[in-house]
Amino acid sequence: MLRTDEILSTIQMLHAEHLDVRTVTLGLNVNDCAASSVDNVCRKLREKIIRRAANLVRTCDRVGAKYGIPVTNKRLAISPAAHLLAGHGLGAALQVARALDEAAKECSINLVGGFTALVHKGISGGDAVVMESLPQVLSSTQRVCASVNVASHRAGINMDAVRQMGDILLKIAAATSAQRGFGCAKLVIFSNIPEDNPFMAGAYHGEGEAEATINIGVSGPGVVGSALHRRLQLGGPLTLGDLAEEIKITSFRVTRVGELIGREVAAELGIPFGIVDLSLAPTPEVGDSVGEILRTLGIEKIGAPGSTAAVAMLTDAVKKGGAFASSSVGGMSGAFIPVSEDAALADAAAKGHLTLEKLEAMTSVCSVGLDMIAIPGDTPAETIAAIIADEMAIGVMNNKTTGVRLIPVPGAKPGDFVEFGGLFGSATVMDIRNAGASAAFVRFGGRIPAPIQSLRN
Amino acid sequence: MNTRFEHAYVLNVMADDRPGIVAAVSGVIVALGGNIDACSQTVLGGYFTQILVVSFPQTVAPEELTARVQKAAPPGGALQVAARPYVAPATPVSCGATEKFVITALGKDKPGIIHRFSQYLAGKDINVVDLYWDGAGEDFVLTAQVEIPKRWEIGMLQADLDEMGREEGFNVRVQHENIFVATNQLRLTGGHR
Repeated sequence: MLRTDEILSTIQMLHAEHLDVRTVTLGLNVNDCAASSVDNVCRKLREKIIRRAANLVRTCDRVGAKYGIPVTNKRLAISPAAHLLAGHGLGAALQVARALDEAAKECSINLVGGFTALVHKGISGGDAVVMESLPQVLSSTQRVCASVNVASHRAGINMDAVRQMGDILLKIAAATSAQRGFGCAKLVIFSNIPEDNPFMAGAYHGEGEAEATINIGVSGPGVVGSALHRRLQLGGPLTLGDLAEEIKITSFRVTRVGELIGREVAAELGIPFGIVDLSLAPTPEVGDSVGEILRTLGIEKIGAPGSTAAVAMLTDAVKKGGAFASSSVGGMSGAFIPVSEDAALADAAAKGHLTLEKLEAMTSVCSVGLDMIAIPGDTPAETIAAIIADEMAIGVMNNKTTGVRLIPVPGAKPGDFVEFGGLFGSATVMDIRNAGASAAFVRFGGRIPAPIQSLRN
Repeated sequence: MNTRFEHAYVLNVMADDRPGIVAAVSGVIVALGGNIDACSQTVLGGYFTQILVVSFPQTVAPEELTARVQKAAPPGGALQVAARPYVAPATPVSCGATEKFVITALGKDKPGIIHRFSQYLAGKDINVVDLYWDGAGEDFVLTAQVEIPKRWEIGMLQADLDEMGREEGFNVRVQHENIFVATNQLRLTGGHR
């Protein structure tokens, strides 16, 4: 029998603090859709997606209603499109992307990830097609999301790919200049890309995965923030250890919600359950912010000294709570700090408290990286590549995932305000100090070798 | 349920709450050589109530059991006691296979809400196994742990209760109990592991 206080605390978490299941993402291997004719590729893709995903939205809604918790996004992540596009050209890439876009729309799926190239050691024919097609693909489709893995702790950093991505980001921004470079928000450049991440834009279905899996992303910065507030209001002598414990317990509860929903959706669809990813993924709504958690932890101005330590504690406590709640934790599992998508972070950036350099430091201990950051549209390609390289170095040296989602806003200068709308929020364009001053480093190209695994000081 | 001894009784005790009631009741059972097989008690608004299943190797007349417990009352007032022979129910009263859900409602308090709410549940063969109500302030909180026959579509029940909530001025939710187990307890939720 349940106790009344247990029932009421769950009701508080689900309804007053707006806990939702952020995403149910169907991972699908589409390698069997390869064909020599692109028309056949598209036909097979469409058939397979509709066969496997047609009931996804309905099932999520039904399971969500049974437990009284909404599943906000239903998404699809395919195996890397680069495999399908081997032996094809740019025209085929665009056609495949449009087929994906339409199939997702037909299944009422709001985003489809996996327009992906894995180039951490070198660029294959299919990868090159994916990368070169990105400006056109991301400007002419709505739902397609892309990712490019340019570095790994085993391969090092492919600086040729990094340099290319600097150029490509500017081209995507130009192709979507009417939307202030918004196409770049649908592309993540990774080191150590996870194969089972359910969160967009970086979700793809990895090579080691089953034919199809259901992966769950739960979030809940609001729930964690409220739990900390309540703990602080109780008063008494509190240490950071106590607050970390509170975050851990809350993360446990949230992760259990995700696993419950995920397993039931998977069972109903007859698809194996993959992982649950508890990541504090903020939205622009007030109260759903990682930045607010940092403020609650005593960082008055986000970006002030102590911010990195606070993010480290938060990320670690979230991981520990998640790992105890489920034996199937995967994906990112930590705290995201996407600047435009988090009202408090966006505010700190606008006031100049949060700089690119401090964000970079914080990403060395958060679960992703430089995420949703607006930069001036005239930033040189080599400088964008150098920013990517720095972030990749953090991932490679620390054996963790890092990602870059930069938006060079065409025509925008530092301090300009940019609105992306909806979940993508708004941001103030950040200043890039010393732009152009690392061009020679980037132009060397080649590969930064994989780091030594011993002598770790 | 299984009882330790052959002769089992259901015993119900109500009293002004104070120290010593549980000791008094259990003392009588021990003195008669019996065993407490199950017990549930609660205190509400300063009143104590307890329901027990007790068993003895020999028969004990319910009237005698009642009298002995009454006599054992600790200082501070009488115990209201009732006893009857325990007969295990053959099948649960609710119809067919059921699933456990929790219904919660919050809103402005006024007379008749529990009645209207429970009448609706009764009409659907929904068994209430635990009910909590707090209407001390202007607002009320209701939680009901219920067994819902599998033949009902949860969305339909939710829609009906939403309609009632609109009329009476409360918010109501029907949720499977596993969401509460998952968020509060370390045990596994049944079904999909």
